[in-house]
Amino acid sequence: MKKLYKLKLIALAISTTFITACGDAETKIVEKDPIVVEDEHDHDDDDHDHDDGYTIDSLGRLAVLAGNSNEASFYDLDDNALLETFTLTNDSNTLSSSPDFRYAVIASRAQDYLGFIDGGLWREDHGEHLHDYEQSPAASSYELTSGSRPTHLITHDGQLAVFYDGDADSGTVASVEVLTDNDITSATATLPGISYDINMHGVAEPRGEHLLSTIRRDDSESTSVAKVLPDQVGVYHFHDGEYELEQTLEVTCPDLHGAAQNHDYVVFGCGDGILIAHQQGDVYSAQKVVNIDAVGDQRIGSIYGHEDSETFIGVASGHGGGEAVIVTINPVTAQMEELEWQLADGASAVSYSFSAHGEHFLILDSLGFLNVFSAHDHDGEMHWELEGQVDITEQDVSTMPEGMSFSMTVAQNGQFAYVADPIAQHVVQVHLEDLEIESEVELTFAPSAITWLGIAQEEEDDHDH
Amino acid sequence: MKRRSQLAVLIAALLPASVLASTIEGVILNNKGKVVTNATVEVEGSDLKVTTDENGKFVITELKNGLKELHVVAPGYAHLHRDITITNDGNQSVTFNLKRSPIEVIDIEATPIHMSAMESASPVSVLSGEQLRRQQAATLGDSLEKLPGVNTNFHGKVASTPIIRGLSGPRVLITQNGLDVSDVSRVGPDHSVASEASTAQQIEVLRGPATLFYGSGAIGGVVNVVDNRVPTDSTTRGEWNLEHNSVDNQKVASFNATTGTDSVAFYADAFWREADDYEVPVAADIDSDGEEHSGDYKVENSNEESDGFTVGASYLMDNGFIGLAVEQFNRQYGIPGHTHGDEEEKHSDEEESVFADLEQTKVQLLGEYNLDNKWLNKVNLRAGHTDYEHAEIESGAVGTTFKNETNELRIDLLHNQFSEWNGGISFHYKQSDVEAQGEEAFTPPSETESFAVALMEERHFGDFLVQLGGRIERVTIEAGNVLLPNIDAHAHDEAQETDEHDHDHEESAETTRVFDVEHEFTPVSLSAGVVWDFTSNYNLGLSVSRSERAPSASELLSFGPHIGTGTYEVGALFDLDEDGHLGLSDQAIDLETANNIDLTLRKTQGDVGFILNAFYNQVDNYYYQIDTGLYAQSGHDHGDEEELADEHDHSSELPVYLFKTDDVVLHGFEAQIAWQLTDEFKLDVFSDYVRARLKDGGDLPRTPPLRFGSELSYQTDKLSAHIHVTRYQKQDRTAPQETATDGYTLIDASISYDLSVLNQDMSVYLRGTNLTDTEARVHSSFVKDIAPRPGRSFALGIRGYF
Repeated sequence: MKKLYKLKLIALAISTTFITACGDAETKIVEKDPIVVEDEHDHDDDDHDHDDGYTIDSLGRLAVLAGNSNEASFYDLDDNALLETFTLTNDSNTLSSSPDFRYAVIASRAQDYLGFIDGGLWREDHGEHLHDYEQSPAASSYELTSGSRPTHLITHDGQLAVFYDGDADSGTVASVEVLTDNDITSATATLPGISYDINMHGVAEPRGEHLLSTIRRDDSESTSVAKVLPDQVGVYHFHDGEYELEQTLEVTCPDLHGAAQNHDYVVFGCGDGILIAHQQGDVYSAQKVVNIDAVGDQRIGSIYGHEDSETFIGVASGHGGGEAVIVTINPVTAQMEELEWQLADGASAVSYSFSAHGEHFLILDSLGFLNVFSAHDHDGEMHWELEGQVDITEQDVSTMPEGMSFSMTVAQNGQFAYVADPIAQHVVQVHLEDLEIESEVELTFAPSAITWLGIAQEEEDDHDH
Repeated sequence: MKRRSQLAVLIAALLPASVLASTIEGVILNNKGKVVTNATVEVEGSDLKVTTDENGKFVITELKNGLKELHVVAPGYAHLHRDITITNDGNQSVTFNLKRSPIEVIDIEATPIHMSAMESASPVSVLSGEQLRRQQAATLGDSLEKLPGVNTNFHGKVASTPIIRGLSGPRVLITQNGLDVSDVSRVGPDHSVASEASTAQQIEVLRGPATLFYGSGAIGGVVNVVDNRVPTDSTTRGEWNLEHNSVDNQKVASFNATTGTDSVAFYADAFWREADDYEVPVAADIDSDGEEHSGDYKVENSNEESDGFTVGASYLMDNGFIGLAVEQFNRQYGIPGHTHGDEEEKHSDEEESVFADLEQTKVQLLGEYNLDNKWLNKVNLRAGHTDYEHAEIESGAVGTTFKNETNELRIDLLHNQFSEWNGGISFHYKQSDVEAQGEEAFTPPSETESFAVALMEERHFGDFLVQLGGRIERVTIEAGNVLLPNIDAHAHDEAQETDEHDHDHEESAETTRVFDVEHEFTPVSLSAGVVWDFTSNYNLGLSVSRSERAPSASELLSFGPHIGTGTYEVGALFDLDEDGHLGLSDQAIDLETANNIDLTLRKTQGDVGFILNAFYNQVDNYYYQIDTGLYAQSGHDHGDEEELADEHDHSSELPVYLFKTDDVVLHGFEAQIAWQLTDEFKLDVFSDYVRARLKDGGDLPRTPPLRFGSELSYQTDKLSAHIHVTRYQKQDRTAPQETATDGYTLIDASISYDLSVLNQDMSVYLRGTNLTDTEARVHSSFVKDIAPRPGRSFALGIRGYF
């Protein structure tokens, strides 16, 4: 196996100047940091490990946003060392990853700004082999600044859909842009997308050539209570370089907020339940699942899904932030069911995520526990059950700095989740099968957000549980 | 002397002054005393231009006093220059006699001073009109290959580019309306030129150094494709063409049209072409052992599909014009021979085909303004922006993407005649960003910027025309990430060691060194030429030049596999050390300098005309690739490591070629004789030859062989027919590792008939090429062993004019 890493050498600079007479020719060469390739032979290959000399085995990288400054730091997860720190353009940012996990996406909603930082680890498909690259993290000059109020960023299968809410005060409209890692690399000037003629707090789910995106009707027609929330979903189809509205789902979804998708379904959170869109070829059929009693007068506003997970997880909470109700949603049987497990007293959930291949669901709570769930089949029905808890902090959680919380990200190339602890100023690596902390990345600041970057591992075919 | 006495007679024939402004009236006759209609009379150094009416008469009004040089041009006749001194306000009446020229004389458009095949000190040729339509092909190289001194590098018919006097690549500049065509065809022989002949109006070739007008990249010559995309007048006219070709089932459609109002002119053109793999008379691969083969032989993966359009508009003023044109050019073509590593039926029987998908957007702004100024009389403006991209696609995935973004600006300021000197000064700025991404990205991203000032002047001294010029240029090349990987290049003759070398890098570190490179060059070019009309109907031209060229980014900075040439290319910035490792070169990077002498003897008029050129060009510091004898992994295919113990398979490895410099001498000749046998029959004979050798012994690779040929034409009002025979001799002056190529004879014929349908002029034509269906392998081609020329083919087409 080959392993690439970059030596942190003191910059070695050689400058050579050649000058010749008449018809001047001058050459200046400055040597920069070299790229070092470590070569190791590994003869006991596993069955699935087809080493052809082009792939890199690395745990990946971690982008960390500082809570007290506008800086993003990049760490090498193979040796937990700091690679590079970037100063960001704006002060208030969110952090996420690009669809293929090469770039860190820095979004600043208030500044109408989306920027990208190359994590430096990526894979290219060269036809006859996969070719991995490892370079230093580098700020990309690519920026998206034309949309107004970028809010919901959804990635799925190599695509990122950015939903720009627009702004009623300034009269700017909502829009969607869809991009891939390749668009960021090649700085694609004009991205395909949707342009609305009104603002809305909406969401768009990219699905290959389809894009399911919300539609806000005229206030007189809209069934939403908060009119800024859309109440319809449109199916947009990409051809000839643009998205075209081909279908508007006939089932309405008042006060739509939150969406997720798996291989066959896209679900949306509505004020009165869940809207399920089922893909059948180029057409989607729609169906509403009304809220179960446990949801009460709250509404499901966040939904989590995974390509390979049959069921979705929905989180219902009141607008005032009352106690959250967590439900599972089975789109095939159109059923909603309350999760048996409940948060401990005094705990609130601060982050939710599926694991890389969808076999685990993670709930990080405010007391510093990472709750790991697995799906189990009972009489043909999937139930999510708690596998265990990992206490990720030894600190007194009441000393959590004002406005901060624990945060997490999931590595896409193994069984690890990373949890950032602003009190201890470190990030711990949690093995999701062993439910143990295996290492930590020391920071010199309190982290406000983290995201994993690197080369995602391809799914293995068989899933026998 | 004769000319002077004629002039005296003309001046004696002065008519009494009748108007205040000076006027010249005249009539133009041929040598049989018949009037010549539609001849153009131009006053040099001004925008005044008139054509003769049906009585052969012309009138030029509003002339100022002083010496005027008139230039008379008519198709089929030699150009005529006459000096007329205008004194006082008044009229002059003149009679000009034109002599026949069997060699068509067309002025070059893209130089600020007057140049044509018959009249300039350095050699030029122009392909236009019917001849261009007859010879146009899918690629620029194939379109021009019948011109003396020009050969094609024949890359399987799909990506051929021109070779001028044995030079091509970064030494031959290709321009569109005087602005760099800005593709990546100068970097690899398998990269197509982003320009189209079927919508062009004329194609000009400047043989030998032309750096004066075009800068560094033109040290070997220039090909300028001219069209009317920014129209200079609004006369409604146009042309359309449909053609089918049998050998590759090629279908072509094209048109161009110009129209407008008094003050605004519009132009549009478009073309579309589609061709399948072409047929060849023998098995395409020279090594195939004549196995039974059913059906026709074809060159696999030589199909092509392209289309494009241009729209332009200009604002016409009394004193000039300014206009803008936008072109979109798309081309998809298979790259024959672009196969990979060990595909030898090990994995599948299916041939992996590689094709290129090329796309270019070109914006040109052209303008000309005639000033009424004490010093200046004309300003020419040319500005261009091009955005080029081509992707090489293998098994459906993009392998390598090449990009070139170029901005260019050229301003020529032409001065008023100054003690009989005509000429001007030219400012030229060009900036291009070139990058390649993917596995064949053998050149790192770089930015090249150049700024130049050039001066060109000409003057008649009696029977002598003197042309002088100089240019100074500043070229910078910047590349921030030049990579020097440790590629473990190794020789193949140590067969035993190859087994070991792959097992000893357990845990060993390989380092890729990274450099930030900046080059700055100041090439200077000087040229002097003289044309002497030593006796009537003949002239002798001599041109001497010293031109310098800044090496291109790919010649300096390359490091990687170039599948198009089947080599691992390493730029001149690097060199082999004593241990055979590649490191930074300690040789200074220097300019390439060409010292060129051109001698031309012409017979300019009469029933027999000829042009004989001889040249001697010594190029010091010539950048070229040498075979290091080492091999490196192509990075393309990596056999399973376990199999190394077996027969080591070299097919995924490429020979390492290193750019070095050496002194080179090129010399040769071009001869062109035309004989108007009768009014209908004309015989053309031509020959050319170039010898390209290293000063210290040895030959350069892919040098075209000696060639001679003839064309017999028959032309009446309605019918025209041509038979063209070209003999290519065997080339056995070869570089090391290069094989000799057999000679061959190609016979082409064409016939065309003009007819008028619905008040439209049309012509129907039939053209046959390679009529004897002979095996013809092009020595100057990189793929000569796998892609011979097409076999016998018939093209049927129709063309219309309005």
